[in-house]
Amino acid sequence: MKRNKPLALVAGAALLTLAACGGGSSGDGDAGKDRKYADQEGGTKDETRQGPATAVDGAEQGGTITVYLPGDPGPNTLDPTAGWSVTGNSIQQALTSRSLTQYSRDDKGQPVLVPDLATDLGSHNDDFTEWTFTIRDDAKWEDGKPVTAEEVAFGICRSLDSEAFPSGAGTEYSKSYFEGADDYQGPYTGKDPECKKWSGISVSGQDVTIKMATPFPDMDYWGSFMAMGAAPLGKASQPPNYGNQPLANGPYRVESFRPNEELTLVKNEQWAGDSDPARHQYADGWVFKFNQDQAKVDEIMLSGNSDSQAALSSSLGSDKYAGSNEELGDRLVQQTSQCVSTIAPDYTKITDINVRKALAYAYPYEDVWISGGEVPGVTRIPANSVMPPGMAGKKDFQVDGEQITYDPEKSKELLAEAGYGDKPYQITMIYYEVDPLAKAAQDQVTKGFEAGGFSVKAIPVQVSPYDIWLDKDNKVNKQLNLRGVNWCSDWPAGSTMLPPLLKANAVYNTAQFDESSVNDRMLEISTLPLDEQASAWGDLDEKIMTEYFPVIPTAFRNDLFVFGEKIGNPTGDGSIGAPNYKDLFVKK
Amino acid sequence: MTAGIAGPEALGSMDDEPQLEDPNSDNSKEISGKSPMQIALSRLARDKIAVVCALVVLFFIICAVFAGVISKLFGVSLESGLASQYVDGLNSGLPKPEMGPPNGPFTWDHPMGVAPRTGDDNMAYWLYGCRVSLMISTGATMFASIVGISIGLLAGFLGGAVDKILSFFIDMFLTIPFLLAALTIAPILSERFNTSDNYATIQMISLVTVLSIFGWMGIARLIRGEVLSLREREFVQAARVMGMPTSRILVKELLPNLAAPIIISISLMLPAFVALEAGLAFLGIGVTSGISWGQIILKASNPTFFREYPQYLLQPMLGIVALVLSLNLLGDAIRDALDPKTRR
Repeated sequence: MKRNKPLALVAGAALLTLAACGGGSSGDGDAGKDRKYADQEGGTKDETRQGPATAVDGAEQGGTITVYLPGDPGPNTLDPTAGWSVTGNSIQQALTSRSLTQYSRDDKGQPVLVPDLATDLGSHNDDFTEWTFTIRDDAKWEDGKPVTAEEVAFGICRSLDSEAFPSGAGTEYSKSYFEGADDYQGPYTGKDPECKKWSGISVSGQDVTIKMATPFPDMDYWGSFMAMGAAPLGKASQPPNYGNQPLANGPYRVESFRPNEELTLVKNEQWAGDSDPARHQYADGWVFKFNQDQAKVDEIMLSGNSDSQAALSSSLGSDKYAGSNEELGDRLVQQTSQCVSTIAPDYTKITDINVRKALAYAYPYEDVWISGGEVPGVTRIPANSVMPPGMAGKKDFQVDGEQITYDPEKSKELLAEAGYGDKPYQITMIYYEVDPLAKAAQDQVTKGFEAGGFSVKAIPVQVSPYDIWLDKDNKVNKQLNLRGVNWCSDWPAGSTMLPPLLKANAVYNTAQFDESSVNDRMLEISTLPLDEQASAWGDLDEKIMTEYFPVIPTAFRNDLFVFGEKIGNPTGDGSIGAPNYKDLFVKK
Repeated sequence: MTAGIAGPEALGSMDDEPQLEDPNSDNSKEISGKSPMQIALSRLARDKIAVVCALVVLFFIICAVFAGVISKLFGVSLESGLASQYVDGLNSGLPKPEMGPPNGPFTWDHPMGVAPRTGDDNMAYWLYGCRVSLMISTGATMFASIVGISIGLLAGFLGGAVDKILSFFIDMFLTIPFLLAALTIAPILSERFNTSDNYATIQMISLVTVLSIFGWMGIARLIRGEVLSLREREFVQAARVMGMPTSRILVKELLPNLAAPIIISISLMLPAFVALEAGLAFLGIGVTSGISWGQIILKASNPTFFREYPQYLLQPMLGIVALVLSLNLLGDAIRDALDPKTRR
């Protein structure tokens, strides 16, 4: 899942973010003020969970919750099929759009996969090539009509339309796994408004059966994406208009939506709590304010005035962390977001592994974090590989025996070993000029690289670096030999981290990494028995890092959420790295 | 008796009148021998505010011209090591105690402290920021006034169709909202040249260009108006009758008579450009290298930093305020000094 959070910071962040520094050494990074954070684990499944959701202790009805999202532009469209960002999916999946399955937060803060529109987590045949979900009959749309199995099937069918929803998660998962997806262009592009030409899905009574082209054991996780939910048949859900006012079937419905500005949700009176195993409807409404100014939001949240009491903020400025850590107490929540920041040397241009390792030693991790507005050891912790901590199968190895830290002398040695000792090795990269933090972080990177025996050409860009990195025809992109990506897992499995970043020709494989043994192994792992897959991904992660070192993981990312005094149950959602919208309420 | 009362009063007030001197005395010869410019300068020298302002401006000019030397003298430079040597990431990115205020005592290593988050030396950035500010504003003032004066002279003197066309362009440029245009043009220019090795220089040149493109209209209008009234005067008519070429009339006859309005508008344009440069840098569409007062203000305008470390914001603020204020006051004083109708 793309992290477009602070767009600017990503820019910065991608290149500037992260990675290894002397600070915290483990996943439960101690914040320096006795603040302990639980390890995030992959979570569990509970296929028997039924509605209504267990009540939250002391929960009260009423009130409107305001959510400030500093530096976060939010989704451009609310169409469930088009969403593939942490911000948009976390809001919509928790509040407005139901899907086949969903996550619930257990007492220990770990996500539990539970049923949603389906009555269980789906049943599959032995080799995971056919999944059947039984759709519950008591879920309702906001207009009072029941959610039917046909509508769920149509919603799933929409995710195959990669022309209509180019940035949707369906382009990665539905397209790769569903049978016949290659030849089917989708209901809109393929002029098939009733989705009759796609044979991969069939509806019988309340049962929806999906056939897979390749074994897909993670279908139940993929089912938790709002793209795997219902959509009204026919014209009612025609893109792009549907994206402005999608029909809700969760506890809240969209009252108004101005992209990049504000999203207002109000109670959906038709939502039946009995049919939903994990969502609540405590607050009367929600207001999401996008693209807020971090300093302004920090002042509001720390002021304790009436604006801030029933509000929460999805981040805290690094300049506020030291001063407010104690004062905020439980109201400050650190949530690991199962994300990794990487810098990606172009595999076709920087072919020597020693040069890539030299880059890793020349990258001034902690300095980049500080000048980029992060708190070392808190919002950024050193990373050893691509798979984030807590993910099933994640191995605690180090490429060179110990955590790679900034060491320019070692970098020079490695460069000399690779035969580039006599003159600086040229690195060409971009940075997001519009954000002074990104520029400041780039300055640190440049200093570090130059001390490590590189020369740096940093090209300022005015657009999101992703726009450059992902555009293969861009003339600036063609010059680059160092790019980067921040990537978050879509569900707690290596299959959502390694292939999207490191499979040949994957969209976000900005390193252009292409090794046939790795590609083959990725295909092979999805055919392994389910219980072997997690460790197989972990092994592959280690193999890729130690043998090829194609990307330099600079940090694992954590988020800081600030909750107002009257927000009950201030917690984060470990499944997606966002505030736990499902279980929040307003205290009287 | 009313007349009797009025008499002495009238006499008394007459006594206050300056005594008329003998035109042939030494004293009056000195006065009559002064050129208008000398009179203006002596008026200026007697104006205490003007003298103070001139000194302040001189100070900034020295800072700008000798930024490198002064930095060396204090042992500071734009080049610094990695951020973590100077600032504490766990303490809001504020400078470490040994770097001076706000957490430690004053140190000569960094007389003005270091910047939070990056550890850049404030003094070096202040001095070079001053240089950038004055370079850009002087450059823009020069170009804008050259363009403005030429167009004003031509429009005013030639009249007719030429005047109509040129006036149309003046009006057209006046209708373009400066900020919107700058916001649009800056990214286009940046993108066009972002792969160049001289990006920083190109950025400064493009900034000067943008500032002067939108800064010449005021002076052009002013000059045009002045020329309109001057061109019907006898000495111009005489020059025409004598067959002087137009270029000579413009340069030799008209221009010297326009010295006062030109000097005045230049002296008022300069502070306007200093403020604009900082404003654009604050908005992120001017200089982005970080060596600019506006950029420092942008980074420092964070409530935490202002609370904990107000010097960081105050240093560039003081620079801009002092420079703009003294340039403005100096400009006013020059205007007063050059205007024969004002009395001091």
